[in-house]
Amino acid sequence: MGHWSVRAMTLVLAGLTLVFPRVLRAPAAWYGLALLISIRIIADWPVPDNHIYLLAYWCLALALALGARDADRVLMRSSCLLIGFAFLMAFVWKAALSPDYLDGRFFQVTLITDPRFENATKLLGGLTAQQLDQSRQHLQPLPEGAELLDDSEFDEPQAFKRLASVSTWGLLIVEGLIAFVFLVPLRGRGVALRHIFLLLFCVVTYAFAPVAGFGWLLLTMGVALCEPGHRWLRSGYVAAWCLVLLYDEVPWSWLMVKWLAKA
Amino acid sequence: MADGQEKEISIRDRKSPTANGGTLRIWLPAILLMVVAITQVLLSKTAELSPWKGGGFGMFATTDGTAFRRVRIFVEAAGRSEELEIAPSQEFSAARAQLFPSDRMLGGLARAVAGREERYGRPVQIVRIEVWRTEFSPVSLDATERPLRVFDWHVDQALHISRQ
Repeated sequence: MGHWSVRAMTLVLAGLTLVFPRVLRAPAAWYGLALLISIRIIADWPVPDNHIYLLAYWCLALALALGARDADRVLMRSSCLLIGFAFLMAFVWKAALSPDYLDGRFFQVTLITDPRFENATKLLGGLTAQQLDQSRQHLQPLPEGAELLDDSEFDEPQAFKRLASVSTWGLLIVEGLIAFVFLVPLRGRGVALRHIFLLLFCVVTYAFAPVAGFGWLLLTMGVALCEPGHRWLRSGYVAAWCLVLLYDEVPWSWLMVKWLAKA
Repeated sequence: MADGQEKEISIRDRKSPTANGGTLRIWLPAILLMVVAITQVLLSKTAELSPWKGGGFGMFATTDGTAFRRVRIFVEAAGRSEELEIAPSQEFSAARAQLFPSDRMLGGLARAVAGREERYGRPVQIVRIEVWRTEFSPVSLDATERPLRVFDWHVDQALHISRQ
């Protein structure tokens, strides 16, 4: 997305940061990337996804941190705030601003209608392909005043209702917890909660939600939270990054559905 | 990054991160995030911006996204009144109007439609853009559509009339 000139400049500048360490550590490079991404957002508004905004803020955070005396600490705290506030807004939307989230409507509708969740719905929701088709028919809007000749009741299996309910409340609770642990000052072992919740969120959510770019960005921001001596934790973030990549490339839920059907 | 470099950056001049304008450096990106997010919430609640977009992190919170909004385009002229498919060249404009059905977005799409019809030698006097949203009732999930905006663009007068 974005005008070809903006895309080209972004790719060139990003490529330069990979090739030349001096460019990687130059605040100007990151100010440049933040600016280019912002231009793309403004030019295409409101089409860009939310993680593009977060990417722009992150590039700005990198630029600002690299200009500070203690870049590590500044970046660590900036990353904390960005993750915290992003999840706070996600939580607020679900808990207070959306009229169709808490009653389960969002996930009931999405699990049935979004083809990207089809295999997960069959695998975990207990719906057969025929039931899924019937459910999709039921969710088609009718022209004003029209009624179905055979209006069969929308009767989901218990497994599907449980899946929708667990998804609804599980996502809300995890996002709320992440917002809390990232925005509240924590010390000592409490800091570990940030890593635990963030990694858990990314590893579980992006197995199902087809927004790998968001997952990679969050995991990259998570790496910035690691103290220099925490090699295992950094390796954990890298491993999670690779896992999200595999989720994006390997149709694991489709393979599971096929395997179970054969079994 | 090599271990030596890590130690150099971490230990060297380990002052408070709030020195050298650090407080602003730390908080500025987050402040921008919240300003944009609050603006997005206001636009969603007052101007029909889709909660999935606009930087408010409302995705996966509501069915009011691209999947359940649609744009319909109608053209009228003497002896002509028909609905048009969205041309490939207009898909991006239509997506913007679908997500944020403001006068500006709808007007831009209407002008593009009128221009295309004129290029193909087809008469057009009025371009009507309708943005619809599908909603689902609680429990039964019965689906109904309702119009978010109806926008009429009068080609010869460059006049538009919009209804909500």
